[in-house]
Amino acid sequence: MIIGFLAFFGCNKSDDGSYVAPITVYEKIAGQWNLMNLKMVDEVAKATNISPNEQNLSTWFNYDTFQITFNVDGDNQPTTYEVMGNVPPLFAASGYYELSTPFQPTTANPILIHLYSDAAHTNLTDVLQLTAVPGTNAQMQITLVRTSGGTPFVSYVFNLMANN
Amino acid sequence: MKKLLYTLLMALYLIPNLTQAQELVGSVGSMWSYPVVYQYSEEVTWYFDLSGTTFAENEDVYIWIWSPSEPDAGNWENSSEFAHLSYEGNFVWSFTLTPTEYFSMSAEDIAGSAGFWFRLKDLTGSKQTEVANMPYTPIDSFFTADEMMRSYPTEATLDGGLSILFNSNLVDGFADATSVHIHSGMNTWAILQEYQSWLPEIVEKTKLKDMGDGFYKMDLIPSEYYNDIPEGFIMENITFLFVKDDWAGTSPELVIYAAEYIPPPPPEFRFFPLQISQKDFLQISRINNETGINTLIYTITAGSTEINGEFSGNMDEIKGFIDLPTLLQGIPNLTEIQVLVVDNQGNTIIDTTLPLKTLD
Repeated sequence: MIIGFLAFFGCNKSDDGSYVAPITVYEKIAGQWNLMNLKMVDEVAKATNISPNEQNLSTWFNYDTFQITFNVDGDNQPTTYEVMGNVPPLFAASGYYELSTPFQPTTANPILIHLYSDAAHTNLTDVLQLTAVPGTNAQMQITLVRTSGGTPFVSYVFNLMANN
Repeated sequence: MKKLLYTLLMALYLIPNLTQAQELVGSVGSMWSYPVVYQYSEEVTWYFDLSGTTFAENEDVYIWIWSPSEPDAGNWENSSEFAHLSYEGNFVWSFTLTPTEYFSMSAEDIAGSAGFWFRLKDLTGSKQTEVANMPYTPIDSFFTADEMMRSYPTEATLDGGLSILFNSNLVDGFADATSVHIHSGMNTWAILQEYQSWLPEIVEKTKLKDMGDGFYKMDLIPSEYYNDIPEGFIMENITFLFVKDDWAGTSPELVIYAAEYIPPPPPEFRFFPLQISQKDFLQISRINNETGINTLIYTITAGSTEINGEFSGNMDEIKGFIDLPTLLQGIPNLTEIQVLVVDNQGNTIIDTTLPLKTLD
């Protein structure tokens, strides 16, 4: 019995392997993504429990052709992004981007994707939320929230799948 | 032995007939009147279903009524002709009377009586029904109800009587009406009986009974009142308005739904979402559309920009999104948009201003 316990602790000994940089979110979102589904949410109706408060936009305005690409450089640092497909300008169709944090946060607050029109990141055009980070299923969710006076009134939820 | 028992039973059965010279033929079945509702001073026809009695088809049947009064008193063995019912066919007999005249009583006294109690009988009184009571529906409550229109029954049937009461005091301009007429159609004006004021017989046909003090009543049976009813017709409603004199005034359009016809839920127009900015899609939708409404035509005015388009659908729903992010892109200083939506029959569905939220 005692021997068995010792054996267990023995197996738990820490590994002294070489340092490997943790995987960043940039690596996870890099590449081209196809739209699976686009949902428009009426945040005012939702907050006051009025129905309907969601509408599916997937079949409207060419959204079936929507693609978005996030590019990274050789060091997995963010460079440019681009929307493909002839879709309405809910947010700027191309430019530069940067995440609010390169690592998955431990809090519930989503990572923000800051979009810029310039490489120097001085001219912020839009802010997206990375509401579901890609995991093993190669899917992610990006949400565009419209706020006025700090209060959200509409949001657009893009469900995306990696285009491999 | 068995035969003897039957004979005994038969003898016992016959005893009441020996002591009581009349034969009970059974109970009066359903009873109704036309007009459906009436004042005691109005002529009315009562209908009696005697199919559950042993009266023969087309047999001479008389009414023996003792309440509110007994007009044929003393004539049980030889009913008067004025108490003679008419045979309507299909074991239904009718009796037409003006209560105040037939009972020689005032309307007030009849109203204060125990009601209409009677038996139906043959001429000599050898056959009679059980005691019956003709129900009466008073309409007095309408005179104080502040209702513009009330119908009896509440839901109409194609072949059944319908009484429509109208309180003209609740419609502007009817005060000095010489006559009031009904301009109507079944199934939302599909089968018409218009008030054609230049045709004397139509003027008479469409004329309401004047009950005094601005109250009027129309009595009709839809299947007889309307002409050219197609075979297999299913009545959904009667839509109508009341007209003063020669179209000197009209009531709002009113509707009585047909029995067992479930009226559609009212149309509902809405915008989605509740609040938008210049960069958001705007959905317009309308559910529970009327017959023939299948397209919404919109005009959006944003500053000097006008956007036009249309969405088609069906009676259940018409909806579509307007691409404001593209259409309003780059227009400076927009704080609101004007939205006009009309349907394919030219009715304005909405004409309103939507404020645009300022984005953070």
